[in-house]
Amino acid sequence: MKNLVRTLDSVDFLKMDRRTFMKAVGLMGASAFLGTYKADIVKALELAETKLVWLHGSECTGCSESLLNAGNPDILQALQKLNVNLVFHETICAQQGIWNDGKLVNTPELNSELLLEETYKEGNYFLVVEGSIPNGPNGSGRYLVIGNKTFKETLGEAAKNAIAVIAVGACACWGGITSADSDVAKDTDYRGVAFAKTDKNKGMLQELGIDKPVINIPGCPAHPDWILLTLGAVILGKIKLDDIPKVVDEFGRPKVYYPPDHTVHENCPRRGYYDRGEFDVEVGGEKCLWKLGCKAPYSHADCGIRRWNGSVSMCTQAGGPCIACVEPGWPDIARPLYVEREDVGIAGTNIDTIAKGAVVGAAVVAGVHAVRRMKGE
Amino acid sequence: MVNVTVDPLTRIEGHQRISAEVDANGVITDAQSSSLIFRGFERILQKHDPRDAAFLTQRICGVCPISHGMAATNALDDLYGVAEHVPKDALVMRNILQGLNMVASHATHIYVLFGPDLANPAYRDVLTTLGDTGNAVWKEMVGRFAPISYKMDGVAVPAGSSYLAAIPEKKRLQEAIALIAGRMPGAASLYPGGYTYPATVADITKLSTYYLEVMDFVSKHTLKVDFNTWIENTYKASSPQKAVSFVTEHLQSLVDKSTTSNDFSKEAGWGDVEFFAAFGSELVGEKLLGLPASLKLDTIGGYKDPSKICFVSYGGYYKPKDGYDPRSPAGDRIFTSGVVTGNLEYLKFDPDKITESTAHSFYSNSSNDLPPTKGETVPFTDPDKIVFTGGSDSQYSWDKAPRYDGIPGEVGPLARMLNIKEPLVTGLALTFAENGYSAANVFTRVLARMQETAILAYELLNWVTVDYEPGGKISVPIDLNAAKNNQGMGLWEAPRGALGHWVSAGSDGKVTNYQCIVPGTWLMSPRDSKGIPGPLEQALIGSKINPVGNLDYTNPIGIYHMGRSYDPCISCAVHTIDLTGKHAPNTLRIL
Repeated sequence: MKNLVRTLDSVDFLKMDRRTFMKAVGLMGASAFLGTYKADIVKALELAETKLVWLHGSECTGCSESLLNAGNPDILQALQKLNVNLVFHETICAQQGIWNDGKLVNTPELNSELLLEETYKEGNYFLVVEGSIPNGPNGSGRYLVIGNKTFKETLGEAAKNAIAVIAVGACACWGGITSADSDVAKDTDYRGVAFAKTDKNKGMLQELGIDKPVINIPGCPAHPDWILLTLGAVILGKIKLDDIPKVVDEFGRPKVYYPPDHTVHENCPRRGYYDRGEFDVEVGGEKCLWKLGCKAPYSHADCGIRRWNGSVSMCTQAGGPCIACVEPGWPDIARPLYVEREDVGIAGTNIDTIAKGAVVGAAVVAGVHAVRRMKGE
Repeated sequence: MVNVTVDPLTRIEGHQRISAEVDANGVITDAQSSSLIFRGFERILQKHDPRDAAFLTQRICGVCPISHGMAATNALDDLYGVAEHVPKDALVMRNILQGLNMVASHATHIYVLFGPDLANPAYRDVLTTLGDTGNAVWKEMVGRFAPISYKMDGVAVPAGSSYLAAIPEKKRLQEAIALIAGRMPGAASLYPGGYTYPATVADITKLSTYYLEVMDFVSKHTLKVDFNTWIENTYKASSPQKAVSFVTEHLQSLVDKSTTSNDFSKEAGWGDVEFFAAFGSELVGEKLLGLPASLKLDTIGGYKDPSKICFVSYGGYYKPKDGYDPRSPAGDRIFTSGVVTGNLEYLKFDPDKITESTAHSFYSNSSNDLPPTKGETVPFTDPDKIVFTGGSDSQYSWDKAPRYDGIPGEVGPLARMLNIKEPLVTGLALTFAENGYSAANVFTRVLARMQETAILAYELLNWVTVDYEPGGKISVPIDLNAAKNNQGMGLWEAPRGALGHWVSAGSDGKVTNYQCIVPGTWLMSPRDSKGIPGPLEQALIGSKINPVGNLDYTNPIGIYHMGRSYDPCISCAVHTIDLTGKHAPNTLRIL
């Protein structure tokens, strides 16, 4: 077993299929496994500097906040170990846009717009996008104008010169909350970087005619490990640009964090109650939250193993239903959040596949509830 | 006259532009504050299950999601008619959650957003001409507050000691929230009628551990005087004068020790609060303590006409008992609701006195300063009309202009501290007013945030260890039918200030209207139909772009300070603006 662990240690786990993934988790223990990659990051020395540009579109800064919650290494250690130069991040950077009579002044050390101009010219950076991009009104993109440029234009310029793009959070991936159905959605016309909801032909880059590798790290917010470890994998060369299509699913999500055949439900701390068919119908209890609208069986993510904020908890552990925030088309596909839904229309998932998964997953304790569903009762 | 524009104003939440006309003396003669984005957010709640709001409105802002979750939950408590019955322990859990989020948010503001400006080279250029003392002070400023990825004259500057130490503490606070709310940002545990997670004895123990760790940071970096001594002599002082005297005497003793040694380090007793309190203010530092220099932050960001400003608080943090009043009358909350006028007179808060104007915002309707319930708002859909350079008479922001009784309102820590008559902040405000300064200015605004952080740290310990009793009742059931044809109002205090959510439901119990009015809207607002500038605009006009040192149009540090002193949150400000009272029309409004 020791040998196997060592072998696994050297394997890039982003490339693992689910079977190997689960085996590795089982063999090494969840925390050790989740730590493998971090160990690589901590060990990384003598790396050439990698530049990172982090742009904010229509966003709430929640994903940046989430990144600041990164564990061991934390964000500051990771930047240092990976020798990342975080060139620009609107919420953190020392600079701001400074204009005198409509002209940019001072130097890139204090002026963010000069800094960005310089950075785009130099190229050779990874671009992280947080937040969605308004295409409205009427295709102008003027519902978001920063530094006298539409964000649509800025994204195009930044993406064109980037090595690759990492879309962080539901908004950047497919529009997220800003593209939820409403009677102004048509006017605002919010897009993700490479998708608009589930449509991969309507991402803003496609709209702009730009072809760049994009990795989606969805979630509302995205888990700091998902962000940091993906960045780490790319920077450490564990993932070559050409390999990206092999390690992501049809929605551009790294399969290792968003396994196509693994849902939050499988490792939910309340899972035992589900298997016994015991459900909470009022909040504040300890049983399965399915009847309170939990969407964990539809949600492809490793929250159940990884947990959140230093692994202290997760949504269902605290009595809130899973809201499927990692799924394309969120939040529309998950609403109403507190109502039990038989089929939420998430691509590749319906109640039958869940039930089958549940039966397999609950080999020891019969999945009473799931079995009943499979029989059509 | 030079037009000096800061766009984007970074190190805030969201995207903001400040445009200022600056005269030959460096004084701002005219200014516009523009929010740069239209999100169309709250419309997504319409026609849906009202309960979704407690989850989804947290996505308005990832920095203070708890506040939106809280305001939504309050509105839902009211909608389902259970506000009077929410169990005490659920309310205490909500307090703990909000308290932790507010402390984390304030710490982020002080250290990550506002602090880095203190390492601006403009201060180096002034301080290093002032001999050993100036050099020593500059060494402290850059050594404590420099941000990451920072360079001066091509040389990389290491991040400051306080900056670096604050980030793990912020993480720790978020972890404490996650422990009782599932994750952070995006708490899963807010629900009408109570709270979804009954914290256990083990959780309480863990929370206490987090608390001790955070207090360890505070004693190492933030406040070098004993924390309890500070609270006893400021928050618990018997009068504003006594609180101010305590602080000035404490600072004087530090000054006496350090002026000969030129040692202004943390080890010499200068915590970040002491350092800022002494060197941030001309009145305190130079005139009272006799320091050779200060940043003169009390000379910028003030209000020149007290009749055009007031300080509004909706009231935050429940008292530890079953139930609360959703209308937040005076005294119902620990931080009471109230209004303080520009001349520091105290009034009772009346939500019916809030109006909104869109005269200078990118909306097609004509403004009439009526309660927003009577208005309708349609965003410009012609891209050519979305222009930010048209000047003060034009329409120039996505923000609307909320007004209290026709007057712009400052909300946030300073407004809250004034409304609860917090001795230190009140005393400082009075002292500034008596000495010819504006009671509100960049210095008092930031100091109020620091003091509120200390007060919350003090109150949190009570909530965690005394008021919350594990094993108690954590929720009461709600009847979904109760929402039918009903309305709910959620008044609350977010880190940045007064936050309200209003919900109406139709005969099917689904949302017909959901509206919010948020701190950023108040603070960053453009002019109203009478042409009265918003709080930030008033703060800018008449202030210098370089409060110390040489005039430099290309590094208008005064504008950075003034803009950031309000801790603006633009994502909040721009998409949740409409205020709908008890009789919301069913016609849906854009925003």
